Amino acid sequence: MTREELAGLFSEARFVVPMRARTKEEVLEELLDTFVREGLIRNRAIVLEMLHKRESLGSTGIGKGVAIPHGRSTAVPDVSIAFGRSAQPIDFDAIDGKPAQLFFMVLAPPQELNNRYLPALGRLVELVNESANRKSLLAAQNYAEFVAIIKGDSK
Amino acid sequence: MIKKQLELLVALQDLDIMIREVEDVKQLGFDTPSLDKLEQAREELKEKIGKPLYATYERLKARYKRAIVPVKGDTCLGCFMRLPTSLAAKGREDAAVITCENCGRILYWLE
Repeated sequence: MTREELAGLFSEARFVVPMRARTKEEVLEELLDTFVREGLIRNRAIVLEMLHKRESLGSTGIGKGVAIPHGRSTAVPDVSIAFGRSAQPIDFDAIDGKPAQLFFMVLAPPQELNNRYLPALGRLVELVNESANRKSLLAAQNYAEFVAIIKGDSK
Repeated sequence: MIKKQLELLVALQDLDIMIREVEDVKQLGFDTPSLDKLEQAREELKEKIGKPLYATYERLKARYKRAIVPVKGDTCLGCFMRLPTSLAAKGREDAAVITCENCGRILYWLE
Protein backbone atom coordinates (compact mmCIF):
# COMPACT_ATOMS: atom_id res chain seq x y z
CA MET A 1 0.00 0.00 0.00
CA THR A 2 1.36 3.42 -0.95
CA ARG A 3 1.26 6.34 1.44
CA GLU A 4 -1.12 8.05 -0.96
CA GLU A 5 -3.51 5.09 -0.62
CA LEU A 6 -3.08 5.12 3.15
CA ALA A 7 -3.98 8.82 3.23
CA GLY A 8 -7.20 7.99 1.38
CA LEU A 9 -8.41 5.96 4.38
CA PHE A 10 -8.54 9.05 6.63
CA SER A 11 -11.10 11.85 6.54
CA GLU A 12 -11.29 15.32 8.04
CA ALA A 13 -14.38 14.23 9.98
CA ARG A 14 -12.20 11.61 11.70
CA PHE A 15 -9.39 14.05 12.53
CA VAL A 16 -9.55 14.96 16.22
CA VAL A 17 -7.06 17.62 17.31
CA PRO A 18 -6.99 18.27 20.16
CA MET A 19 -8.71 15.34 21.82
CA ARG A 20 -10.87 15.78 24.91
CA ALA A 21 -10.03 12.28 26.19
CA ARG A 22 -7.98 11.93 29.36
CA THR A 23 -7.97 8.15 29.71
CA LYS A 24 -7.45 5.11 27.47
CA GLU A 25 -11.16 4.32 27.57
CA GLU A 26 -12.05 7.88 26.59
CA VAL A 27 -9.57 7.73 23.69
CA LEU A 28 -11.27 4.60 22.34
CA GLU A 29 -14.72 6.15 22.65
CA GLU A 30 -13.79 9.57 21.27
CA LEU A 31 -12.20 8.13 18.15
CA LEU A 32 -14.95 5.56 17.69
CA ASP A 33 -17.56 8.32 17.85
CA THR A 34 -16.03 9.98 14.78
CA PHE A 35 -16.94 6.84 12.79
CA VAL A 36 -20.41 6.83 14.36
CA ARG A 37 -21.05 10.49 13.48
CA GLU A 38 -19.99 9.83 9.89
CA GLY A 39 -22.41 6.92 9.72
CA LEU A 40 -19.59 4.48 8.99
CA ILE A 41 -20.42 1.84 11.57
CA ARG A 42 -23.65 -0.04 12.11
CA ASN A 43 -23.39 -0.75 15.82
CA ARG A 44 -21.24 1.30 18.21
CA ALA A 45 -21.54 -1.15 21.12
CA ILE A 46 -20.33 -4.13 19.09
CA VAL A 47 -17.30 -2.25 17.77
CA LEU A 48 -16.43 -0.91 21.22
CA GLU A 49 -16.61 -4.42 22.66
CA MET A 50 -14.33 -5.66 19.88
CA LEU A 51 -11.83 -2.88 20.67
CA HIS A 52 -11.88 -3.81 24.37
CA LYS A 53 -11.33 -7.48 23.52
CA ARG A 54 -8.40 -6.54 21.32
CA GLU A 55 -6.86 -4.42 24.09
CA SER A 56 -7.29 -7.32 26.52
CA LEU A 57 -5.05 -9.45 24.29
CA GLY A 58 -2.28 -6.87 24.60
CA SER A 59 -2.23 -3.09 24.43
CA THR A 60 -2.16 -1.50 21.00
CA GLY A 61 0.13 1.16 22.46
CA ILE A 62 3.17 0.43 20.30
CA GLY A 63 5.46 2.77 22.20
CA LYS A 64 7.17 6.08 21.42
CA GLY A 65 3.95 7.92 22.26
CA VAL A 66 1.82 6.16 19.66
CA ALA A 67 -1.19 3.86 19.98
CA ILE A 68 -3.03 2.16 17.11
CA PRO A 69 -6.21 0.54 18.43
CA HIS A 70 -7.55 -1.67 15.66
CA GLY A 71 -9.79 -4.57 14.77
CA ARG A 72 -12.29 -6.14 12.48
CA SER A 73 -16.02 -6.20 13.06
CA THR A 74 -19.11 -7.14 11.12
CA ALA A 75 -20.46 -3.73 12.11
CA VAL A 76 -17.79 -2.02 9.97
CA PRO A 77 -18.47 -1.96 6.21
CA ASP A 78 -15.08 -0.74 4.95
CA VAL A 79 -11.49 -0.09 6.06
CA SER A 80 -11.16 3.38 7.54
CA ILE A 81 -8.92 5.20 9.99
CA ALA A 82 -9.39 7.97 12.54
CA PHE A 83 -6.59 10.10 13.94
CA GLY A 84 -6.48 11.89 17.25
CA ARG A 85 -3.85 13.89 19.07
CA SER A 86 -3.95 14.73 22.72
CA ALA A 87 -2.31 17.84 24.15
CA GLN A 88 -1.39 15.81 27.24
CA PRO A 89 0.14 12.31 27.05
CA ILE A 90 -2.34 9.59 28.06
CA ASP A 91 -1.47 6.28 29.68
CA PHE A 92 -2.29 3.51 27.17
CA ASP A 93 -0.48 0.55 28.83
CA ALA A 94 2.04 0.86 26.00
CA ILE A 95 4.76 -1.67 25.36
CA ASP A 96 7.44 0.81 26.56
CA GLY A 97 5.34 2.00 29.49
CA LYS A 98 5.27 5.56 28.15
CA PRO A 99 2.03 7.50 27.69
CA ALA A 100 0.80 8.27 24.17
CA GLN A 101 -0.23 11.44 22.37
CA LEU A 102 -0.78 10.15 18.84
CA PHE A 103 -3.71 7.80 18.27
CA PHE A 104 -4.81 6.03 15.11
CA MET A 105 -7.94 3.88 15.14
CA VAL A 106 -8.05 1.38 12.29
CA LEU A 107 -11.36 -0.43 11.69
CA ALA A 108 -12.19 -3.02 9.06
CA PRO A 109 -14.87 -5.56 8.14
CA PRO A 110 -14.15 -9.27 8.78
CA GLN A 111 -13.48 -9.87 5.10
CA GLU A 112 -12.54 -7.44 2.36
CA LEU A 113 -12.16 -8.00 -1.34
CA ASN A 114 -9.00 -5.95 -1.71
CA ASN A 115 -7.28 -6.80 1.60
CA ARG A 116 -6.29 -3.34 2.72
CA TYR A 117 -6.48 -3.80 6.48
CA LEU A 118 -3.13 -5.44 7.27
CA PRO A 119 -1.19 -3.46 4.62
CA ALA A 120 -2.68 -0.25 6.07
CA LEU A 121 -1.72 -1.24 9.61
CA GLY A 122 1.78 -2.21 8.47
CA ARG A 123 2.27 1.06 6.57
CA LEU A 124 1.07 3.05 9.56
CA VAL A 125 3.46 1.27 11.95
CA GLU A 126 6.31 1.88 9.51
CA LEU A 127 5.40 5.56 9.24
CA VAL A 128 5.21 6.25 12.97
CA ASN A 129 8.40 4.33 13.64
CA GLU A 130 10.26 7.22 12.05
CA SER A 131 10.90 9.91 14.64
CA ALA A 132 10.71 12.72 12.03
CA ASN A 133 7.15 11.64 11.17
CA ARG A 134 6.13 11.50 14.83
CA LYS A 135 7.55 14.97 15.34
CA SER A 136 5.63 16.30 12.33
CA LEU A 137 2.41 14.62 13.47
CA LEU A 138 2.77 16.26 16.87
CA ALA A 139 3.12 19.64 15.17
CA ALA A 140 0.46 19.37 12.41
CA GLN A 141 -1.89 22.35 12.71
CA ASN A 142 -4.73 21.12 10.53
CA TYR A 143 -6.02 18.23 8.45
CA ALA A 144 -4.24 19.38 5.28
CA GLU A 145 -0.88 19.35 7.07
CA PHE A 146 -1.67 15.97 8.58
CA VAL A 147 -2.54 14.41 5.22
CA ALA A 148 0.64 15.83 3.70
CA ILE A 149 2.66 14.03 6.41
CA ILE A 150 0.85 10.76 5.76
CA LYS A 151 1.44 11.13 2.02
CA GLY A 152 5.08 11.95 2.64
CA ASP A 153 5.05 15.29 0.87
CA SER A 154 5.02 17.61 3.84
CA LYS A 155 8.47 19.14 3.34
CA MET B 1 -26.06 -33.94 20.58
CA ILE B 2 -24.82 -32.85 17.16
CA LYS B 3 -26.01 -29.31 17.80
CA LYS B 4 -23.80 -29.06 20.90
CA GLN B 5 -20.79 -30.30 18.94
CA LEU B 6 -21.45 -27.76 16.20
CA GLU B 7 -21.74 -24.97 18.77
CA LEU B 8 -18.33 -25.94 20.12
CA LEU B 9 -16.94 -25.99 16.61
CA VAL B 10 -18.29 -22.48 15.89
CA ALA B 11 -16.59 -21.28 19.08
CA LEU B 12 -13.36 -22.98 17.99
CA GLN B 13 -13.60 -21.31 14.59
CA ASP B 14 -14.07 -17.88 16.22
CA LEU B 15 -10.96 -18.56 18.31
CA ASP B 16 -9.01 -19.64 15.22
CA ILE B 17 -9.94 -16.45 13.39
CA MET B 18 -8.96 -14.38 16.42
CA ILE B 19 -5.64 -16.22 16.79
CA ARG B 20 -4.86 -15.74 13.09
CA GLU B 21 -5.55 -12.02 13.33
CA VAL B 22 -3.45 -11.61 16.47
CA GLU B 23 -0.59 -13.51 14.80
CA ASP B 24 -0.86 -11.20 11.78
CA VAL B 25 -0.61 -8.01 13.84
CA LYS B 26 2.13 -9.51 16.02
CA GLN B 27 4.27 -9.66 12.90
CA LEU B 28 3.69 -5.93 12.42
CA GLY B 29 5.19 -5.20 15.84
CA PHE B 30 2.17 -5.19 18.18
CA ASP B 31 2.60 -6.70 21.61
CA THR B 32 0.29 -9.71 22.08
CA PRO B 33 1.11 -11.31 25.44
CA SER B 34 -2.27 -13.04 25.66
CA LEU B 35 -1.83 -15.08 22.48
CA ASP B 36 -0.73 -18.07 24.59
CA LYS B 37 -3.98 -17.91 26.56
CA LEU B 38 -5.98 -18.00 23.34
CA GLU B 39 -4.05 -21.01 22.12
CA GLN B 40 -4.55 -22.75 25.44
CA ALA B 41 -8.29 -22.06 25.28
CA ARG B 42 -8.29 -23.50 21.77
CA GLU B 43 -6.64 -26.71 22.93
CA GLU B 44 -9.20 -27.14 25.72
CA LEU B 45 -12.06 -26.58 23.28
CA LYS B 46 -10.56 -28.96 20.73
CA GLU B 47 -10.59 -31.79 23.30
CA LYS B 48 -14.37 -31.48 23.59
CA ILE B 49 -14.98 -31.94 19.86
CA GLY B 50 -15.27 -35.40 18.30
CA LYS B 51 -12.18 -36.39 16.30
CA PRO B 52 -13.91 -37.02 12.93
CA LEU B 53 -15.71 -33.67 13.08
CA TYR B 54 -12.52 -31.89 14.06
CA ALA B 55 -10.62 -33.57 11.23
CA THR B 56 -13.26 -32.44 8.72
CA TYR B 57 -13.01 -28.92 10.10
CA GLU B 58 -9.21 -28.87 9.82
CA ARG B 59 -9.37 -30.14 6.23
CA LEU B 60 -11.90 -27.47 5.25
CA LYS B 61 -9.99 -24.75 7.10
CA ALA B 62 -7.17 -25.14 4.61
CA ARG B 63 -9.61 -24.06 1.87
CA TYR B 64 -11.92 -21.63 3.59
CA LYS B 65 -11.51 -18.93 6.22
CA ARG B 66 -14.80 -20.15 7.66
CA ALA B 67 -15.20 -23.92 7.48
CA ILE B 68 -18.46 -24.00 9.41
CA VAL B 69 -21.21 -21.63 8.32
CA PRO B 70 -24.84 -21.00 9.20
CA VAL B 71 -27.84 -21.84 7.04
CA LYS B 72 -30.45 -19.15 6.65
CA GLY B 73 -33.59 -19.54 4.59
CA ASP B 74 -32.28 -22.93 3.41
CA THR B 75 -29.24 -21.18 1.92
CA CYS B 76 -25.61 -21.99 2.79
CA LEU B 77 -24.08 -18.70 3.97
CA GLY B 78 -20.66 -19.90 2.81
CA CYS B 79 -21.36 -20.19 -0.92
CA PHE B 80 -24.91 -18.76 -0.98
CA MET B 81 -26.32 -21.78 -2.82
CA ARG B 82 -29.80 -22.96 -1.91
CA LEU B 83 -29.83 -26.37 -0.25
CA PRO B 84 -32.05 -29.21 -1.51
CA THR B 85 -35.24 -29.45 0.57
CA SER B 86 -34.35 -32.98 1.75
CA LEU B 87 -30.96 -31.83 3.06
CA ALA B 88 -32.47 -28.83 4.81
CA ALA B 89 -34.98 -31.12 6.55
CA LYS B 90 -32.20 -33.50 7.57
CA GLY B 91 -30.19 -30.63 9.01
CA ARG B 92 -33.04 -29.54 11.25
CA GLU B 93 -33.32 -33.04 12.68
CA ASP B 94 -30.05 -32.54 14.60
CA ALA B 95 -29.07 -36.16 13.95
CA ALA B 96 -26.00 -35.87 11.74
CA VAL B 97 -23.33 -33.43 10.63
CA ILE B 98 -24.44 -31.96 7.31
CA THR B 99 -22.10 -30.46 4.76
CA CYS B 100 -23.06 -28.22 1.84
CA GLU B 101 -23.34 -30.24 -1.37
CA ASN B 102 -21.90 -27.35 -3.33
CA CYS B 103 -18.92 -26.06 -1.30
CA GLY B 104 -18.46 -28.82 1.28
CA ARG B 105 -18.58 -26.51 4.31
CA ILE B 106 -20.04 -27.83 7.58
CA LEU B 107 -23.49 -26.38 8.11
CA TYR B 108 -25.41 -25.38 11.23
CA TRP B 109 -28.97 -24.23 11.42
CA LEU B 110 -29.86 -20.97 13.13
CA GLU B 111 -32.84 -21.13 15.49
